[in-house]
Amino acid sequence: MKKPSLLSGILIVFFLLVSILIAKSFVVKISSTHLRAEPQFYAQSLAVLKAGESVEQLETKEGWIKVKTSRGLTGWVHSCAVKPKGVALLASASSLKTDASADEVALAGKGFNKQVEGEYKARNPNISFAMVDKMLQLKISPSSIKTFLARGKLGEFGREK
Amino acid sequence: MNNKKTLVLLAFCLFCVLFFLKCSVMEESAGIFGKVSKIVASEKDTIKAVRSGFGDISEEEEYYIGRAVAAIILSMYPAYQNDDLTRYVNSVGMAVVYHSDRPETFAGYHFLVLDTEEVNALSAPSGFIFISKGLLKRCRNEEMLGCILAHEVAHVQEKHGLQAIKNARLVDAFTLIGEKAIEKYGPEKLAKLTDVFEDALGDIAGKLIERGYDRKYEYEADRLSIEIAARTGYDPKGLIDFLETMRQDSSQGEEKGWFKTHPSAGDRIERAQKEISSLSFIPEKASARTARYEKAVQRLR
Repeated sequence: MKKPSLLSGILIVFFLLVSILIAKSFVVKISSTHLRAEPQFYAQSLAVLKAGESVEQLETKEGWIKVKTSRGLTGWVHSCAVKPKGVALLASASSLKTDASADEVALAGKGFNKQVEGEYKARNPNISFAMVDKMLQLKISPSSIKTFLARGKLGEFGREK
Repeated sequence: MNNKKTLVLLAFCLFCVLFFLKCSVMEESAGIFGKVSKIVASEKDTIKAVRSGFGDISEEEEYYIGRAVAAIILSMYPAYQNDDLTRYVNSVGMAVVYHSDRPETFAGYHFLVLDTEEVNALSAPSGFIFISKGLLKRCRNEEMLGCILAHEVAHVQEKHGLQAIKNARLVDAFTLIGEKAIEKYGPEKLAKLTDVFEDALGDIAGKLIERGYDRKYEYEADRLSIEIAARTGYDPKGLIDFLETMRQDSSQGEEKGWFKTHPSAGDRIERAQKEISSLSFIPEKASARTARYEKAVQRLR
């Protein structure tokens, strides 16, 4: 009776230890994203996370990941803004590096980049990027989108009875 | 015997813990030395080996490709100058984007109206989306516009533009890029990489503007646009209404814009109807949306 309980005790302790130690780690793969208070784009922004910043997954919900940042903040990021970094220890915030090693980050500034675009512009002076830069400035704030959705009875506002 | 088993189990547990620790230490070490210019050799090899297809194009690279494709489109069509309309189209676009499976890209989604009577809607990689004045005039309500923008967002979501790049070009590019972590390219390498970049842009622009995407991508974008529109709260029949309008439209020849680059409206209507009938919930049109659409496009009439 004693031996099996010793074995199962070891196994329980082992799995508890592993589950505590292992956390899913992600790295921001886009220029920047917001750490949000709720899993919604128009929820309050708690911080801006830059490309390459590492976060640890706490839980997931319909395309969103609740994370802890290297600064110890907790909030939600959309899953399409981050990329799995691989296995890492949860130990402490100090183990999270902002200069992460994920390939997306290693590739930052490499390949088709600003320098290549500069060379392309020099070769094709008839193609102007001025309007593209202007287009990039067209931004509607999440709170305005929320109002737009609400007035049009769209998204969660369309499902309200 | 039982003691032996316990020892084996303990050894296994220790091995597992050490393995996870090793993984972590590898990441830590890259973090310590980890500026882009100082990536450890094994990591560089991994990057080189792993990058082989369109899915391996980084978000940042996709952004630079998208910028250039957008610049090509804007060298062919001028932008329509109407801030209120631009803001309205961006609001409808972002409403749809929020309900897509890829709501964030490297620099986000941006929508622009093109000042042309040609009927057209185009999407460049990374979220640069264009809709022509001619197409807007043929929409009767926000549902139709929402469905068309959802179709374009679906092309971005599924990276259909990047899939137009010939694989041999990507292999060339990855070979040039993948060997070293370079902060600045030398003239020779820059010239070669720009050659590949130009060819890749030619592949995408050729599909977008001249030949159109493969039919399977158009059907996929239709299917996804129905899902995204319904999730947003738009009546997905807006897509069918638009396709019906286009089927009956004989004002433009089949050699221009949308008519040239898309499969026949009849075929798409049939598929869209089947797709819509399989939805568990179909939102209805709302008069508030039609009213604001009318107001936004009144200057076009």
